[in-house]
Amino acid sequence: MSEENIVEMHNIVKRFGAVVALKGVDFHVRENEIVGLVGDNGAGKSTLVKILFGIYAPDKGEIIIKGKKYKRLTPKKAYELGIVLIHQERTLCENHPIWRNVFMGRELTNRFGFLKIKEMKELAYKSLTTLELTKMPVDTPVKYLSGGYKQGVQISRALTFEADLVILDEPTVALSLAEVQKVLEYVRELKRKGKSAIFISHNIYHVYPVVDRFVILNRGEVVAEFYKKDLTPEDLSEIMISIARTGRVPKEYEKLNLYKKASSLQVAS
Amino acid sequence: MAEIYKMHGVKKIIYEFKLQFVITIIFLLIWLAFYMLNPSAFSNSFTYTSIMGVAPFTIIPAISLTLVIITGEIDLSFASVMALGPLVMAMTWQFFGEPTPLGILLGLLAGLGAGLLNGILITKLGIPSLIATIGTLFLWRGVVLVVTQGFSIPLGQFKDSPIYSIFVGRLCGLPVQFFWTIGLAIIFWILLNRHKFGAYIYYIGDNRTAARMVGINVDRVLITVYAIHGMIAAFAGILDSLEMATFWPALGDIYMLKSIASVVIGGTPVTGGVGTIYGTFLGGMILEFIEMGVLSSGVSGFWIRLVHGVVIIIALAAQGIIRKGELAKIRIMRMLTT
Repeated sequence: MSEENIVEMHNIVKRFGAVVALKGVDFHVRENEIVGLVGDNGAGKSTLVKILFGIYAPDKGEIIIKGKKYKRLTPKKAYELGIVLIHQERTLCENHPIWRNVFMGRELTNRFGFLKIKEMKELAYKSLTTLELTKMPVDTPVKYLSGGYKQGVQISRALTFEADLVILDEPTVALSLAEVQKVLEYVRELKRKGKSAIFISHNIYHVYPVVDRFVILNRGEVVAEFYKKDLTPEDLSEIMISIARTGRVPKEYEKLNLYKKASSLQVAS
Repeated sequence: MAEIYKMHGVKKIIYEFKLQFVITIIFLLIWLAFYMLNPSAFSNSFTYTSIMGVAPFTIIPAISLTLVIITGEIDLSFASVMALGPLVMAMTWQFFGEPTPLGILLGLLAGLGAGLLNGILITKLGIPSLIATIGTLFLWRGVVLVVTQGFSIPLGQFKDSPIYSIFVGRLCGLPVQFFWTIGLAIIFWILLNRHKFGAYIYYIGDNRTAARMVGINVDRVLITVYAIHGMIAAFAGILDSLEMATFWPALGDIYMLKSIASVVIGGTPVTGGVGTIYGTFLGGMILEFIEMGVLSSGVSGFWIRLVHGVVIIIALAAQGIIRKGELAKIRIMRMLTT
């Protein structure tokens, strides 16, 4: 894992009317790092990644991607910068074949905009093969695929476009146990290929096996950061329950908390 | 069941295009029924030439309307734009005293402008397409009525000009407007199936959020689709006024429901995301065959609407059955790909 940050977000504030969804969040992802973004409902996880993907504009703060500063992004710009958002079944066109979905928005064309269909099918096949998604031909409409297979198609899209950072927003919701394992394997494949990822999930047992570092959000603030190697899933569960109840990291884990700003504030309070 | 998409050859083509096959079969059955009812009329080439002469006015706007409906939107105003385009053309010709190509160009630009207005109202002001285009339907018909004061504009004096032959002349005894229809159908098929723009049209209708998330400029695509549809509707109106050698203020009115019906019979659901030009073309031909068949059978013209209604319901029921069967297959295939 490199120490170079691929993405940095500084002092991000986002308000929805009177509600402050994010209260000055600092967040970063390193090269070839999988970050687990966890927290209770309403913690601000999805809002944070939607700002990173350009769906929302932050009210305050800045985003640094590959060393360049941005006040706000758009999905198009984020896509161009190598960021891909994978949402539970939301970024696929169900009636269209797998190969079209893999190349959606970045079709291979000649200079007049005509599609290079054969080339796209071949490349989609290659990309799907690396994820062992060869059960169905690339001509198959996505509506025929299971939830896990669909997530695989979306990850294949990220691999085809050489995305540097893949955001997985609750990718395991409503999947069977076997399919969750498949999705986790796809995430491991991203890591093997040198990519970075942000993995959002309510279920820490889904996140734990694949991430390098956890960032815990609570009520719009980062409250803790831990390396996975320092915790067991049970430790993490205990920390999260404590944060949900008291807003604090239990004392015995404080020394492992990488987010010193948050911990000092908590001690002060 | 998982083997469905591993099928090859004719079997795979039949499976993938089953909706088109159903529409083709309905079309052939209707032809056969009328042929048996009135063999003399339907073995006479004049019947087919007549259909080829009038079908373009329904099918041409239906072809571009297919694009609009695939995006999940609707346009009702094209019926009035079908009058606006030829009005501009007729007034330009009257002004110059000759059938100048400039008149055609200005007529098409008027249609393009009307389409642009629809696109802007829907995307930039967020007005639902049904409501926005009801508004522009009245607006453009109102403009036509106010300008003409309800009077027709004769175009018969220009009938011998070459421009007439180009658009509504006869080629090998067949109406040229039918060749325009086939040409436009081919161009739009290529646009939808082989061009990036067509892919975006399908994606927007299938999953607009996904289209936005992958960076497709949804508003720009929708505005362009409406602009194209406006221009094509104006073109269809121009052809109709040339064929009839007159411009009349109610031009286009009768085509609104027929063109929408052509698209729907052709298998393009109003929910968007899917649809074919082939289906729309045959949908339009089915309606025209019924019209010609009823009239040539010697029964009252009042039967036309009734038969239209029955066929529309049969076609939609067949599509509904196919889609219901599809749902069962989807459930099984999803289990098999788990």
